[in-house]
Amino acid sequence: MPQDPLLQTYDVVVVGSGATGGWAAKRLAEAGLKVALLEAGRTVTSAEFTEHVPVFKLKYRDHSPEVLRTRPIQSQCYACMEYNYNWFVDDTENPYSTPPDRPFTWQRLRILGGRSLVWGRQSYRLSDVDFKAASRDGYGEDWPFSYADLAPYYDIVERYVGISGAAERNEMLPDGQFLPPMRMTCGEELFRERTKKAFNRTVTIGRAAVLTQPHNGRAACHFCGPCERGCMTFSYFSSPFTTVRDALKSGNCTLITNAVVSHVDMDHSSNRARGVTYIDRVTRESKEVRGKAVILCAQAMESTRILLNSSTPEYSNGLGNSSGILGRYLMDHVVGGGASGILPGMKEAPSANPPHRPNGIYVVRYRNTPATGKHPDFIRGYGFQGGAGPEFDTDAPGLGAEYKKAVKRGVYSISLGAFGESLGRMENFCEIDPNLKDAWGIPALRISMAHGKNEAALMRDAAVTAAEMLEAAGATDIRLRSNTETPGMAIHEVGTARMGRDPKKSVLDAFNQTHDVKNLLVTDGACFVSSGCQNPTLTMMAITVRACDKLLDRFRTSNI
Amino acid sequence: MSRASQSGVRWNRRQVIQASLASGLLAVFRPVLSLGQVVPPSDLTPAQAGVDASQQLASPDWKPAFLNDQQNETLISLSDLLIPDTDTPGAKQALVNRSIDTMLAAEPVKSQQKFLQDLAFLDAAGRQEYGKEFRALSADEHNELLRPLSYPERPSFWTEDAPPDPGREHFQRLKSRIVFAYYTSEIGMRELGWDGSITHGPFAGCPHPKGSHK
Repeated sequence: MPQDPLLQTYDVVVVGSGATGGWAAKRLAEAGLKVALLEAGRTVTSAEFTEHVPVFKLKYRDHSPEVLRTRPIQSQCYACMEYNYNWFVDDTENPYSTPPDRPFTWQRLRILGGRSLVWGRQSYRLSDVDFKAASRDGYGEDWPFSYADLAPYYDIVERYVGISGAAERNEMLPDGQFLPPMRMTCGEELFRERTKKAFNRTVTIGRAAVLTQPHNGRAACHFCGPCERGCMTFSYFSSPFTTVRDALKSGNCTLITNAVVSHVDMDHSSNRARGVTYIDRVTRESKEVRGKAVILCAQAMESTRILLNSSTPEYSNGLGNSSGILGRYLMDHVVGGGASGILPGMKEAPSANPPHRPNGIYVVRYRNTPATGKHPDFIRGYGFQGGAGPEFDTDAPGLGAEYKKAVKRGVYSISLGAFGESLGRMENFCEIDPNLKDAWGIPALRISMAHGKNEAALMRDAAVTAAEMLEAAGATDIRLRSNTETPGMAIHEVGTARMGRDPKKSVLDAFNQTHDVKNLLVTDGACFVSSGCQNPTLTMMAITVRACDKLLDRFRTSNI
Repeated sequence: MSRASQSGVRWNRRQVIQASLASGLLAVFRPVLSLGQVVPPSDLTPAQAGVDASQQLASPDWKPAFLNDQQNETLISLSDLLIPDTDTPGAKQALVNRSIDTMLAAEPVKSQQKFLQDLAFLDAAGRQEYGKEFRALSADEHNELLRPLSYPERPSFWTEDAPPDPGREHFQRLKSRIVFAYYTSEIGMRELGWDGSITHGPFAGCPHPKGSHK
């Protein structure tokens, strides 16, 4: 008879089954440790994928009022659709507050796999320009390790996940273990050549966690397009069908879904975490899972929320918070700057048929680099995601037969949108709102964040330089965008439990253990010291594997 | 392959495999992964549960849920004028009015009212110019009334910013609803050349040699 999963003591309790939690479960379970993997939401199966369901089969053609009613915040994300909105949290059950003048939009999934089910899949390495940014420009703190320390773990993650991309030998964006790159459109090739020639800047095809050839038992992408609705060939990376599957296959991992973790339980005499308490999402019963170590991978602010809700008489302002900065230095890439235009004279006509490439192009950061030197107006930098190609011109003027014809003729557009570094600031934070609880009675967060002058300057510069590059490529009708969007819109939130060597200035050590409680780790985006401008998930996964390997060493030497 | 999609059948795994093979893709397929637990149907969206709402829309018993008959007919005439049958079917055959009605029935009162005002503008304009409701106008009268509103105002030497024209705004809002409902219908997708496939193999990219992309 199977043992009651709650009666045994696991080696490790992992909270969260997304990109990082999946890796923690896989790495530790495959090494022989007994792992309990907790997920706040339900399970997911590939039978509910909808990537091949055409929009005309939807009652509201993907503009469902139901989505707006239960998910007014979640639906600000393009990936929260009439197809799959149930994967995102119900905002009415999962409240958080913000000061009226400091809005924050927080996109969350509670389902097996978390946001890895719907993520943008763009996968970029950080470099020492990021890890040692503070030493270069004097702002903030360096990371407690260098690129060379993390590089082997980037290799491990990339080899398993499968990242398609092109090597560029650009020091701002280290190359990795790539599968063959996806191809560029004519307009993108043109843009790449002219940008190199006019500005010596690198335009590359997006490095995407989407397979361009069969890899580790998963099929190559069939280019149907909308990855965020699932993939019946598992061609983009999502944890349920890769890392979590492997962890379960090892026989050493017990998956507990519908486990909404409220806090970490402490054994006070030994100053060790002894497990976590969760509320069953469906029955609302409170239950405890015991482990020799606890790893939080719940999403940056969710992990921090669990720590803040784990106060004890010894740790009255939250667990792992002797520094007083738990919840502080919340970051999210600034977005909103960029430009778009029309490329005249391109031959390719728009098509409603696949292939639909689930990827775009990437412009590598060129501000404040060792090669370009210090910019007078701002520190750090930005990269662009974008693309060029023919589109149907449904905005065409006119009516009747001529309008129908104009729509099909189309326009060849080109567009760039910047992701800029978000500086870590003490005054950008999350804390427990004493007056707010979620549907399970767990105290909820108050989030207080605003982008500053540096982020605004980055977006203004991004608009101008994007327009210059489009102009050099021959684009017309160029439109600039230089606003800074509401924090949270990038869905790259990181920080709030940052790493560091000095326990007075950080929550986690260089291997993601809390300085205060050695068998308690946080390996998701909460650990970031600075944000860089690259999409963060690849780095989170590499950090998780590195932290797990260190934890395994400690288990082997009984130093846990 | 195309028969399946034309008849509104959801793509199954075998069809994807066949399509992948047909397009030269080497595919390795695993069985549907369930990880040992069952998802209750109440946790699924209609799309995930396999509901095809387009069949409901095409039902012979269809009745408007929000519009009255007069408003419905006005919307049909406008949609037919904007996106007529040509060598391909237009908005009327694509049941654009029904899709818009479905949407409106679920929308907040404010946007419902705005839509009715937009529609009422057409009748007011018809009465003013020709003494008739919009749906009673001839094709020529329809064109004469709406054509000027369907093109952007030319910037004038005399005025930098022309004052917003309420008629144009009414018209443009109606047009964008009709355009959306048409091009998200199956008829509209096929108008744009969709052949019902979900894959034609990998994205081939630019075929031109270096320095001559066009």
